[in-house]
Amino acid sequence: LKDRLAAAVKQSRADYTEIRVERTWSSAVAFRGRRLETATVSEDQGGFVRVLNRECGWGIASFTSLDELPAMVTRAHDLSRAVRVEEPIRLAETRPQTADAILELDGDVRGVSLGEKKKLLDRYNGAMLAVSDKIVDTQSSYRDEVSEVWFVNSDGTSLYQLRPEVVVSGTAIARRNGNIEKGLESIGLRKGWNSVQNFEDQFRVVAKRAVDLLEAPRVKGAAYPVILDNELAGVFIHEAFGHLSEADFVYENPQAREMMTLGRRFGKPVLNVGDNGAAKGLRGTLPYDDEGTPTQDTPLIKEGILVGRLHSRETAAKLGEQPTGNARAISFRHPPIVRMTNTYIAPGKQGVGFNDLISDLKLGVYACGAFGGQTMLENFSFTAGWGYMIRDGKVAELVKDVVLAGNLFQTLDRIDHIAGDFTWNQMGGGCGKGGQFPLPVTEGAPHVRIEEALIGGDV
Amino acid sequence: MIERVLDTARGKVDGADVLWRREEQTAVAFESGRLKAAGISEEAGINLRVLAGGRMGVAGTTAAKPDPKELVARARASAELGEIVELAFPSPNPQSPPPIPTFFDRTANASLDELIHMGRRLVERLARPDCQVNVAVEREVADTAVGNSAGARGEYRATGIAVTADITRIAGDDVLMVYDQYVGADMPSDADLEALVRSVETRLTAALKIVAPPDGALPVIFTPAGLAAVVLPLEQALSGKTVLQGSSPLAGKVGETLFDERLSIVDDPLTPGRPLSRPVDDECVASRSTGLVERGVVERFVYDLETAARAKTQSTGNGRRGVFGKPHIGYTNILFRGTDGARATGQIAVLGGGLIGDIDDGLIVDDLIGVGQGNVISGAFSHPVGLAYRVQRGEITGRVKDAAVAGNAYDLLKRIGGFGADGRWLGARFSPSLLLEGVSVARR
Repeated sequence: LKDRLAAAVKQSRADYTEIRVERTWSSAVAFRGRRLETATVSEDQGGFVRVLNRECGWGIASFTSLDELPAMVTRAHDLSRAVRVEEPIRLAETRPQTADAILELDGDVRGVSLGEKKKLLDRYNGAMLAVSDKIVDTQSSYRDEVSEVWFVNSDGTSLYQLRPEVVVSGTAIARRNGNIEKGLESIGLRKGWNSVQNFEDQFRVVAKRAVDLLEAPRVKGAAYPVILDNELAGVFIHEAFGHLSEADFVYENPQAREMMTLGRRFGKPVLNVGDNGAAKGLRGTLPYDDEGTPTQDTPLIKEGILVGRLHSRETAAKLGEQPTGNARAISFRHPPIVRMTNTYIAPGKQGVGFNDLISDLKLGVYACGAFGGQTMLENFSFTAGWGYMIRDGKVAELVKDVVLAGNLFQTLDRIDHIAGDFTWNQMGGGCGKGGQFPLPVTEGAPHVRIEEALIGGDV
Repeated sequence: MIERVLDTARGKVDGADVLWRREEQTAVAFESGRLKAAGISEEAGINLRVLAGGRMGVAGTTAAKPDPKELVARARASAELGEIVELAFPSPNPQSPPPIPTFFDRTANASLDELIHMGRRLVERLARPDCQVNVAVEREVADTAVGNSAGARGEYRATGIAVTADITRIAGDDVLMVYDQYVGADMPSDADLEALVRSVETRLTAALKIVAPPDGALPVIFTPAGLAAVVLPLEQALSGKTVLQGSSPLAGKVGETLFDERLSIVDDPLTPGRPLSRPVDDECVASRSTGLVERGVVERFVYDLETAARAKTQSTGNGRRGVFGKPHIGYTNILFRGTDGARATGQIAVLGGGLIGDIDDGLIVDDLIGVGQGNVISGAFSHPVGLAYRVQRGEITGRVKDAAVAGNAYDLLKRIGGFGADGRWLGARFSPSLLLEGVSVARR
C-alpha cells in the first residue's frame, strides 16, 4: 500500500502532496440498564489527500472508495488551484521520516471474541446496578479499535502506524422521585484487552456516589477558594489554557498573538505546564502526528511564564517556530489541525499533599471528577462530577452541581498551591474542535488550589 | 445495493432492514478573512440490521465493494449476543409518501466558484478593524435508500447547505466571539444572508461596552441560541428511550399540564426547506409530524421501531441510523412555539425579540459555556455565560462577563414571562426567545 501511495504522490502535479489512508477494525458493546444495546464489529476505511500549490490554498479530498485515489489527487489539485491566496501558505521544514511505528497492543483486541467483551462489560454494568435499587438506569459501553494508518508525502516521509485503543465507560443514574443524579466512570487507554480488566470496584464507587448525591445539597453559587482533584485539574488545564496554546488560534490574528506573547507571565512560579505526545501508553500518545512530524514533550508554561505553543507545520512556518507534532485528525474524513495530545500540570514539591492545600482554609470547595469542560478562549466552564465543602481546614459535606466558571488570566494567576501527587487521567471521551470529535487526549495533574474561583449555582 | 444485501440475508435470518447512504460534500473556508482551503468529501456506507432467533444484530461497512455475505455473517454474529426483541418491520405503505421537497437543484448545482463568491461577499460585509472574520460554506448532496424484508422501500435525494460566520474581537485580554449561521436545504437568498450579517452586527455592536453583571434571582431572556441549556433536558426527557429506562422525569406524565399553557413542542420532518426533512425515516417508517407538548400538556414521546416495540406503541418515525451501530431515536426538526405563533418571525435582528421593555434588571443570554455536560436530564443547569447582555430599565446597557446562570429547566418553563417575536431556525431547532423569571445569576 505504501508503494501505491508513493506512486500516487509522485504522479501529483501539485507542489506539495500528502496522502493518508486508514483502516480501522473496531468492536463495540453497549448496555442500557440490564439490556444489551448492541454488540458489533465494524470496519471503516478511507483516504485523505491534501495538496498545496504556489500562490494557492489547500485542496482537500476525503473518500471511502480507495480505487478513486489517483482521481482524488487530481481533484485536490484542481481545488487548490481554485483557491487563490495573496499571502503564500508555507510549511515548516521537517526531516523526512520513514518508519513502521507499531504501538504495543497489550492483548490484541482482534483476537478476543465479542462474547468475552460482552461478559466483561456485563460485570462492570452489573456492579453498578447491584449497588442500590435507586440505580434506575445505566449506560455502559466497551469500545476497542486497532487503526492502521499509512502516511506518505512529497517531502519524502513514508510512515505506517498501528494505533490501538480501548475505552470502557459507565454512567450510573440514580433516582429518587423527581431527583436524578449520575455517576460516571471511564477508562481509556492506547492499549488493548489486558489493560481494562478488574475495574469492578471503580464502577461500584461511582454508582454509590450517584445514590449519595440524591441527598446532597446543591453548592451555593459564589466565589470560593477551590481545590481541584487530579482529574478535574487535568480537564481544567486542557480547557482553560491548552486550547489557547494551539497556535492556529494566534497565527493569523495579531491581537491574539499579542495576548499570547511568549515571555508573558500567566501564573505564579509554582505553575509548570506542557503537552507530551511522546509519553508512553496514554490515549493522546502517538509516535508521529498526522503530518508525519514526530511527537515530543513541549513545555508551554515554565515557572509561570509562557514559553511555548503547539504547532502544525503551517502555524510553525507562519510564526517562525518549530513544528511540535500536534497536527492531528480524528479520521481520514478530516484534515489535520492543531490539537493537544497529553497535556499536564507538572507536580509541585514532592511530599506536598491534599491536606497541605486545605489546612488553612476556613471555607472552600473541593471539586472532584469531571463531567466535561468547554472553552470560549478567554472564558471557560468545567463541570465537576461532585464536590465537598471544605470547612475549617477539613473536608465536610458532599455537594452537587459544582460548575466552575472561569476567566483564563485571572484563574491561572490565582493558582497558589500545587501538590506533588501527580497522576495521568486514564479517561475515555475526547476533545472536540472544528467539528472533529472525539479526539483521544489525556490530561495529567496533581491536586491544585485556586485562591478564588467562581462557582455557579443558586444564590 | 439494498436489494443485494436483502437477497443475501433471505433464508439466513428471520428479517432484515438496510440503509444505504452516499454523501458528497463541498466546502470552502475563509480564515481571518482570507480564503484558505477548498475541499470535497465522498462517502458511502451501508448499515444492516437482522433479526435471527428473535434476537437483533447489526453490522456496517464503508468498504467500496462490500461483500453482502460477509456483512450478513457479521450481523448474525452480532445477533447471537443480542437481546430478544419483538420487532416487526413496517410493510410497504399503500399510500404514496408525503410530498416533501428535499432536493434543490440550485443547491446541488452550485459551482465551487459560486460557493467561494458567497463566502467572500459575507467576509466583505462583516469585515471591520481589529476583528477576525471566519466564514465557512458547506454544501452536501446525499442519496438515501432504505428497505426491509417485509417489502417496504424508501428512497430520496437531499441537499443541504450551511453558511457559518464568526467574528472574534480581541482587545487586550478581552475576547469577544459572535457567531451565526444559515442552514437550509435550498440556497440562502440575499435576504437570508443579509439577516445573518445583521444578526452578527447587532450582537457585536451591543457587546462592545462591558458592564458589571447583576446578581440574584432575575428575569433572563434566552435567545434562540442561548436557549439550548433550557431545551436540552426536554429533548432528552421526551425521548421514548429515557422513558423506557425510567430516567425521564416526564415518564408517566402524558396528559398532565407541566409547562406554561402557551408552550407547544413539535417534531416535524415535513417542514419544507429544512435539511433534516425527509419522506421516510431510516427504518422505512413514513414521516409525520408529532406533537410532543401541546399547550403545556405532555402529549407524546418519540420512538424508533425498537423502543416502540418495547413500549408497545407505534414508531413515530424518529428512527435514525449511521453506517455503524444500530438505529436509535433522533429528532428531526424540533419546533418550540408560543400559541400566538402569528408574530413568531420578523424581528431576528432585534436582540431579545422585543421582550426587554418590562425588565428592570436582568440579562439576555445568547450563549452559555459547557451546555450538555452536566446532569442534563434532571433539568438542572449551571453555566458561565459565553455571550450575555445586561438589561436595565428596559434597555440593553452592555455585555456582561464573569457571570454564571443556573436554574431548573422544568421549573422555569412552568411560567414563561414572554415569547419573543424573533422565532427562527438554528440548525434543526426553531424557537423564539423566551423570557424566564427567577433565574439564578451569580457573579465573581
